[in-house]
Amino acid sequence: MATTLEARRPGSRLKRRNTLLGLSFILPNFLGFATLTLVPVIVLFYLSFTDWNAFGSAGWVGVENFREMLGDARFWTSLRNTLYYSALHIPLTFAVSLGLALLLNRKLRGVAFFRTAAFFPYVTSIVAIAFVWNALYSPDVGPINHLLRTIGIDDPPGWTTSADWSMPAVVLVSVWRDMGYYMLLFLAGLQTIPTELYEAARMDAANAWQRFWNVTLPCLRPTTFFVTVMLTIGSFKVFDIILVMTNGGPGTSTLVLSQYIYDQGFVENDFGYASSVSVVLFLICISVTVVQFVVNKRRAL
Amino acid sequence: MKRSIVGGLSVAALVSLTLTACGGDDTGTDPAAGGGGGSDEPVTISLAGWSLSTTPEFQVLADAFHEQNPDVTVEVNEYDATNYDTQMIADLAAGSAPDMYVLKNLLNFFTYQDGGQLMDVSDVAGSLDENTNGLDAYEVDGTTYAVPYRQDSWYVYYNKDLFTAAGVEEPGECWTWDEYAQKAKDLTTALAATGSDAKGTYQHTWQSTVQGFANAQSPDADILGGEYDYLAPYYERSLDLQDSGAQIDYGTVSTNSLTYQSQFGTQKAAMMPMGSWYVATLLAQQESGDADTFAWGIAPAPQLECTGDDPVTFGDPTGIGINPAIDEDEQAAAKEFLSFIGSEEAAQALASIGITPAYSSDAVTEAYFGIEGVPTDELSKYAFGTHDTRPENPVSEHTAAVQGALGDAHSAIMSGSSSVEDGLAAAESEATSELG
Repeated sequence: MATTLEARRPGSRLKRRNTLLGLSFILPNFLGFATLTLVPVIVLFYLSFTDWNAFGSAGWVGVENFREMLGDARFWTSLRNTLYYSALHIPLTFAVSLGLALLLNRKLRGVAFFRTAAFFPYVTSIVAIAFVWNALYSPDVGPINHLLRTIGIDDPPGWTTSADWSMPAVVLVSVWRDMGYYMLLFLAGLQTIPTELYEAARMDAANAWQRFWNVTLPCLRPTTFFVTVMLTIGSFKVFDIILVMTNGGPGTSTLVLSQYIYDQGFVENDFGYASSVSVVLFLICISVTVVQFVVNKRRAL
Repeated sequence: MKRSIVGGLSVAALVSLTLTACGGDDTGTDPAAGGGGGSDEPVTISLAGWSLSTTPEFQVLADAFHEQNPDVTVEVNEYDATNYDTQMIADLAAGSAPDMYVLKNLLNFFTYQDGGQLMDVSDVAGSLDENTNGLDAYEVDGTTYAVPYRQDSWYVYYNKDLFTAAGVEEPGECWTWDEYAQKAKDLTTALAATGSDAKGTYQHTWQSTVQGFANAQSPDADILGGEYDYLAPYYERSLDLQDSGAQIDYGTVSTNSLTYQSQFGTQKAAMMPMGSWYVATLLAQQESGDADTFAWGIAPAPQLECTGDDPVTFGDPTGIGINPAIDEDEQAAAKEFLSFIGSEEAAQALASIGITPAYSSDAVTEAYFGIEGVPTDELSKYAFGTHDTRPENPVSEHTAAVQGALGDAHSAIMSGSSSVEDGLAAAESEATSELG
């Protein structure tokens, strides 16, 4: 039935050809995505219900891993730390990178240099960043505390060597590192805003703040949405900077979920349990993202 | 980042799921040797090692064995040193691991043994004489799964030139931790008076530097017991040394990524508790100029009290086990190799390149102290030859998790983030929930 119908309609052959052509375009990427990401992620969901320890077959344990997680103090600590990190990292990075973008989106002598400079941290090796910042943070001999002492703070924080200050210290470095990237996204968004809108606002005697609030922000909405989603996911799965800067310490003060997963999987060889924690992290990420999509959609109406 | 973990994990999973079926068939290394069997045919067996250019011990063993058994060639496959266990686990799961592999530490021995990745080598163990130390560590329920070839122990390295400059008496065959702490303080004061900024001692950031000694020496120590009061005096002593300035503080070491090799090698500290592997490193660095040239020696680990027994210290053995997927024809050759690495000949070959072999005898000590540059004073010889070395990691499924909790306590206490009591209490509650 379908084929005769298609044969009759002149456009349908073209349509099918276009579909095939389109599929052939995405196929190379999809193959890589499927073998390296999609299938492993599906296997991950299966593994999270097993006690697989890297060798032999994975024994089915049902929801045992998830039940164990409920009573696992270390899991809750790392979840709490992840939320703490995100609560500091998301708004700070957002504000700093938007501020930088606004600052560098005007005609300024040497603007290209400043834009590049702000992007430098993002392309610098994370290990080098950790090494240098750790030295800056050094409690007794580091330049940061030296400066704090000269301006009259007698008892400066211990930064990465203090359980209270280690997380803010790491967040500061990670904001500094990420700001360039998100600034670039904001800059791209700012340049799509038609100048007529600003001119019209000026005609209506809107001051700078009113222009920012009523023209810039609404026109930037697609960008801010994208930045928020990427920032949120990035914050929840933070791993590298913590691993190289503090390795979760002192104590468990900077232990985050991704590192906990790594420890469970590759240090303790409990891949089943590590997979379960990964699933929880995945669910957290996806539910926050869904909420953000819903909110964004409602605002758009 | 998470994606890469999940990805790696799942790829490993996939590989194992699809390849375990054919695992075991593709481990033969030399097709010419595989079919023959019998002892007259030449056989090639493979051994996993790491960083071959800087870690010559594997090739030394392979060459020494080949000299004794010209029919058997041991081929060393190189792995990455830092990811050795991860790569080995993946290769074993995929069935592509070498015939024999080195157990880098005891922490992962349980994983391999429990996962059925080590062949029963009790017959080899039974044929070795009692001079082979560390064999017990590889015994689970009466079955031995690997043979140790090296047995590192922790000593205190000391800089004789700095001791002389400070006018502090060198340690003797037995010294207590209190004497050690006093010497560290005296050295610091005296060296400061001479205008030197060297500290009395250097303690690296590892948890072993405190907990290793406490676990080995305290009468009621048991890291799987879930009670860690016995660690408290060791921590109080370390914190006191740090507060009094006799050793550089933990925060400075960790934030500035200081290395122990440079601290002792460039005379920033007069003493340093460290494992026996550092002897070969220090010799090489003094040769290359990375370390200063100065007179040094090794002293036995300080004790809780001097009782006249052999000084108690700690250190995990390093052993070699056989992959159960090895071809049947090659099993005999692999077992022969294992009994060779536990022998005096192998130990002499290892000792002559600065490695502390698991087998101890006068001939081995002689080979070790025959190396140019090794301190040959009586105390160093005593420290090398006389000690009661306890394994650092008990073999159990809980060891990795409990060591993790104790590692958290270590960084919290040493950085001053929590008091000794609070830090140890947190480790206790975590260990208790892990031990169930």
